[in-house]
Amino acid sequence: MSLQAFWQSLQDSPVGDFVASSSWAFPTLESIHVIALTIVLGTVAIMDLRLLGVASTDSRVTVISNDTLRWTWAAFGLAVVSGTLLFMSKATIYTIDPWFLRKMTMMVLAGVNMAVFHVFTWKSVQEWDTDRILPRAARIAGGLSLGIWVFLVFFARLVGFTLGKYE
Amino acid sequence: MPSIGDLLYAFALWLKTTPLVEFSLWASKTWLSQLFDKTFLVTPVAQSIHILAIAIAFGSVVMINLRLYELSGQTRTIAQTAERYLPWIKWALVVLLVTGLVIIVGDPVRVLLNPAFWTKMILVVCAILVNLWFQRSVARGDVLWELAGQTRLKVRIGAGAVLLLWCAIIFLGRWIAYVPV
Repeated sequence: MSLQAFWQSLQDSPVGDFVASSSWAFPTLESIHVIALTIVLGTVAIMDLRLLGVASTDSRVTVISNDTLRWTWAAFGLAVVSGTLLFMSKATIYTIDPWFLRKMTMMVLAGVNMAVFHVFTWKSVQEWDTDRILPRAARIAGGLSLGIWVFLVFFARLVGFTLGKYE
Repeated sequence: MPSIGDLLYAFALWLKTTPLVEFSLWASKTWLSQLFDKTFLVTPVAQSIHILAIAIAFGSVVMINLRLYELSGQTRTIAQTAERYLPWIKWALVVLLVTGLVIIVGDPVRVLLNPAFWTKMILVVCAILVNLWFQRSVARGDVLWELAGQTRLKVRIGAGAVLLLWCAIIFLGRWIAYVPV
């Protein structure tokens, strides 16, 4: 099956069809998506601001990570589920909207940034856990994360304004 | 019993009998509204900043609530938690007000005659009042917060209600784009 046929089959599936044709499903899922993503973003920002030495500097880095990360992942799960359902309603259109593709690129970059931070930088966390000014690699990870998420939100919002052009 | 849809519909009909009709039509013809409407990036940029500010404010509300539920942040007292997050909520609300105004100016008729918008505004006022009350109560050093004991259930129910209030605000905000006006 070609990729195009796969998107088409998602869109034609009972779930995709339901989200597309129901009068309330799409806006309701979108609202849930916003609730989920603002929790993701809010908790990520708390960690990033600690890494940058801007906020929560009186707390250990591991404490802030502990306080936020579980909730970031829980909310991220909800965002993925609601997002996938939204995507299925118009899969063939989303996949040709350049802003949607840019959003997904940001998503990948955010994941890579986070993975690099947790695999490499995090190894030495015990050495700088209580510091206010953290090693450069940690500060860069925090700054990159904030920047990537700002653009991700902007690109995602533009999808809503451009999608009609590709229908 | 009337459904929520019926109530919103009745609200929408009532809004059409108010001077808001004339006002929003006038506002939509001002040069600023025309400029915002015709300049492609104004509304999406304002909406993006609006969402980022919701993330700061709502994320902070969630963190305070998780602390009240003793699910996160127990290394800080509730007073310290409030001190950490309340200023961020306050400044995010200022950004929300400014970006919200830009969004309204870009399409006054869609927003000002919208029952979802006015319901949202009522709930926003409630959220701000609850926030101010919480801030004062913590600043006064009310033992209610630190000594959970007998008040624990009361505090938890209150925190849950505030969380639902914010979720309702976000829901209504998104529905402004969908409710017919």
